[in-house]
Amino acid sequence: MLPNEQRDPLRPTGRVFYLKERTFNMLKKDLLLKNPLRLLGHDSDDIITEGDFGVILARAGVGKTAIGVQLAINSQLRNQNVLHIALNDPVQKVCLWYDEVLRNLISQHDISQEARLWDIILPHRFIMTFKVERFSVPILEERLNDLIEQEIFVPRMLLVDGFPFKNESRQFLEDLKTLAKKLGFHVWFTMNIHRHNQPAPDGFPPEFSRFEDLFEVAIQLIPEGKEVFVRPLKGIGGKSQSPGLSLNPSTLLFHVPDDPLT
Amino acid sequence: MNIDIQSVRNIGISAHIDSGKTTLTERILFYTKRIHTIHDVKGKDGFGATMDSMELEKERGITIASAATSCQWNKHEINIIDTPGHVDFTMEVERALRVLDGAVLVLCAVGGVQSQSITVDQQMKRYQVPCIAFINKCDRVGANPERVIRQLSERLGHNAVAMQIPIGLEADYEGVVDLVSMRAVYFEGVNGEILRTEDIPEDLVVVASKKREALIDAASMYSDELTEAALEESVTEELLIDALRKATLTRELTPVFMGSAYKNKGVQPLLDGVTRLLPCPLDVKTEALDLENEEKPVELVADPKVPTMVALAFKLEDGQYGQLTYIRVYQGTLGKGDTILNVRTGKKVKVGRLVRMHANQMEEISAIPAGYIGALFGIDCASGDTFCSPNVNYTMTSMFVPEPVISLAIKALDQKSEANMSKALNRFAKEDPTFKTFVSEETHDTVISGMGELHLEVYIERMRREYNAHVTTGMPRVAYRETITRRADFNYTHKKQTGGAGQFGRLAGFIEPVADEDFVFDNRITGGSVPTQYIPACEKGFQKCMSKGPLLEFPITGVKVTINDGASHSVDSSEMAFQAAARGAFLEAYHKAAPVIQEPIMKVVVESPTEFQGAVMGTLNQRRGIIVGTQDEGPICVIEAQVPLSEMFGYSTVLRSATQGKAQFTMEFLTYRQAPKSIADELIKKAGEEKKNVA
Repeated sequence: MLPNEQRDPLRPTGRVFYLKERTFNMLKKDLLLKNPLRLLGHDSDDIITEGDFGVILARAGVGKTAIGVQLAINSQLRNQNVLHIALNDPVQKVCLWYDEVLRNLISQHDISQEARLWDIILPHRFIMTFKVERFSVPILEERLNDLIEQEIFVPRMLLVDGFPFKNESRQFLEDLKTLAKKLGFHVWFTMNIHRHNQPAPDGFPPEFSRFEDLFEVAIQLIPEGKEVFVRPLKGIGGKSQSPGLSLNPSTLLFHVPDDPLT
Repeated sequence: MNIDIQSVRNIGISAHIDSGKTTLTERILFYTKRIHTIHDVKGKDGFGATMDSMELEKERGITIASAATSCQWNKHEINIIDTPGHVDFTMEVERALRVLDGAVLVLCAVGGVQSQSITVDQQMKRYQVPCIAFINKCDRVGANPERVIRQLSERLGHNAVAMQIPIGLEADYEGVVDLVSMRAVYFEGVNGEILRTEDIPEDLVVVASKKREALIDAASMYSDELTEAALEESVTEELLIDALRKATLTRELTPVFMGSAYKNKGVQPLLDGVTRLLPCPLDVKTEALDLENEEKPVELVADPKVPTMVALAFKLEDGQYGQLTYIRVYQGTLGKGDTILNVRTGKKVKVGRLVRMHANQMEEISAIPAGYIGALFGIDCASGDTFCSPNVNYTMTSMFVPEPVISLAIKALDQKSEANMSKALNRFAKEDPTFKTFVSEETHDTVISGMGELHLEVYIERMRREYNAHVTTGMPRVAYRETITRRADFNYTHKKQTGGAGQFGRLAGFIEPVADEDFVFDNRITGGSVPTQYIPACEKGFQKCMSKGPLLEFPITGVKVTINDGASHSVDSSEMAFQAAARGAFLEAYHKAAPVIQEPIMKVVVESPTEFQGAVMGTLNQRRGIIVGTQDEGPICVIEAQVPLSEMFGYSTVLRSATQGKAQFTMEFLTYRQAPKSIADELIKKAGEEKKNVA
């Protein structure tokens, strides 16, 4: 200590290492590094910004929601608010998805920290469920204004699960894009595709092809035998990158190369 | 009394508040000729429903205590336990479910599967109670039984199948089409007591055939015979009912009936359903634990002829002739004059009067055979006690009892009230395991604790009305908890040499947080630095500290104490010295272990018209609530939130004024969570002030 430096009487002389705190922060960091987007070869956590759309495409039952929830949890761990919109599913079912994904995510780590992770995630998550026929941009805007004006919840990301992409959906998507820009959030969708449909001339699945211009990022999940492979379709470093990235079929989490636990 | 056990049905009627279950029970009693007039729930005619025997229940239109009653239908004896619908009284519901073989889940045709239905359903799952569903209020505007069946599948995960389809709905609701017999059933007469069956109306023939096909399809999963018959198109009524019953008993299928109890429609077919589909006592496997054989499970046989009798007391009531104990006999026969053993107290008692109850009327009987529910007089016991023949020592598995989350100080207004109050409290605590009472050591106040504001409110009202005990109440107190968040070491020496025998004991070790346990003690002392005979005293000393935390004087939970060193003195060490050393050691470490205050968090579910969604979310947010989600269901939305209990006092008034009285909410304990620092500081300050005042 320099002679004229005043010592804070409250500050302990030795340095204290709070190992538990450190372990927790390491776990949090570890989970952050397992951001699905980083694993796909993207170098920052937010691949899309305000007003942008991303989409996860797959056939029914392959794991779209699981990936969406992983993206959501990742944002929540970075203290970003995520509004999860589920169409036709009750709130309880959505909560079960989070329980399941989070449990699987940390089962490879220290399970006793689960409660603390929940404390971090919960304030950053808001679930809204709608009947498909009632889900419209004006209703959503009204609900969002309720939340934002009362400072209850200001979302940075929206995850829309179960939206039925139809021919007439273009207007909805355009309106939602305008709203996303206005209120400053980005949107991830899940999109159901069918195996019997031939790819469109641009090579994309036809369900996606007709709206392709509205989306900045697209990821496709392709089941092959017992494995589910992840194929970046648009916006993530090109189609050739990360060719071997797959999902663990039992947990529907990303299988991280060189990590025996996943 | 009919003692063909195959024809006995012990059923409960469970549902969300205001789904009309008491009205339904009333109609059942009317059609089974137990009562001869019908009264409304809210007592518009000055009588109140027969099952709501307590004055308070009649006034509030809610059923507080489950009244038991029995009736006959189609040569079957049906024992009905009417259960309360409000969350605050779930202990009553749980206790009722414990002794039941089957249940009718009543759902509102407009409201559908509401939050309380989910809680009740979970309870049924816990006790593996097979159930059938009844969609009530089909005459109301907005009734949609189809949607309710869908919700049963989607929200509660039931494999729900319609047994009927409605003929008309809302104001045009006329009757039902029975999909088993494929006949239309109409309810005529002043009280719907005359059943008229006819051919299915032409416009419903196609729908009915389709629905019947779906019913056969669902049932054939559980019966090969039915599958074969379906392929040959020769399905008989018996075959279909047999398959449905088989699947209902294993909870793999939930048959759904519909009607409007208030409008006297659809109740008789439901009774047929109860007798044809729900289990008799023989269908249900019941186990007791043999206390003399290391709690080995013993399967009970529902046979009245078995000499060893086993019965469970599930409800107590204080009547004009003394304590009335509702009891279910599981094995053997309980006869008048028999000597039985109360397993909990080890006391032998002689059975005096035996009765069968019909709400607040009773019928004298000489015996209660296995599988039956009855009541006995003059036996002193607590709810949940097992009675058995004196030659065995069996206990029925203990019931799940949640810890109380709220407490209230009460004071009698005069001396007469004081005597009555203690009588009342004694009775309530025996009746209801979730209701507890004690005298505060500091303030000398009598404190009552329970599962919610309404829970305690009802008991205070009952004290006034039934026992003439007038009391004033203090502010409700939330059951906070203290815990530690970090490991801390201790090395404490307790030394006292002030004349007389000295005291000496040294303990070293550490305390650390532990999840899912209240208190863990780990002795790692080697080499005898603390003699073995003093170790239990050390544990006792530490455990005593857990009952009252230094911050708020609330219990401490989640602490593991490890002792690994110490010292003793050949003359001055004693059990007392080591207990004191443990206390000192704990206090030394506690403040270093970053203690925090935990508060009870409630799961709050509000159902409100959609236009008030924003306002409701605002009220929850102002109460430090985390809104988990909102469910948009057309005109109604459901908002689920997690809110600290301390912020929920008086919420019903706030919600009423924010929604023009159109919203309702339910609340149940969810978990304990760390209170924010500002709140914790305030609580500590307040506790300090209170302590000073008392001193």
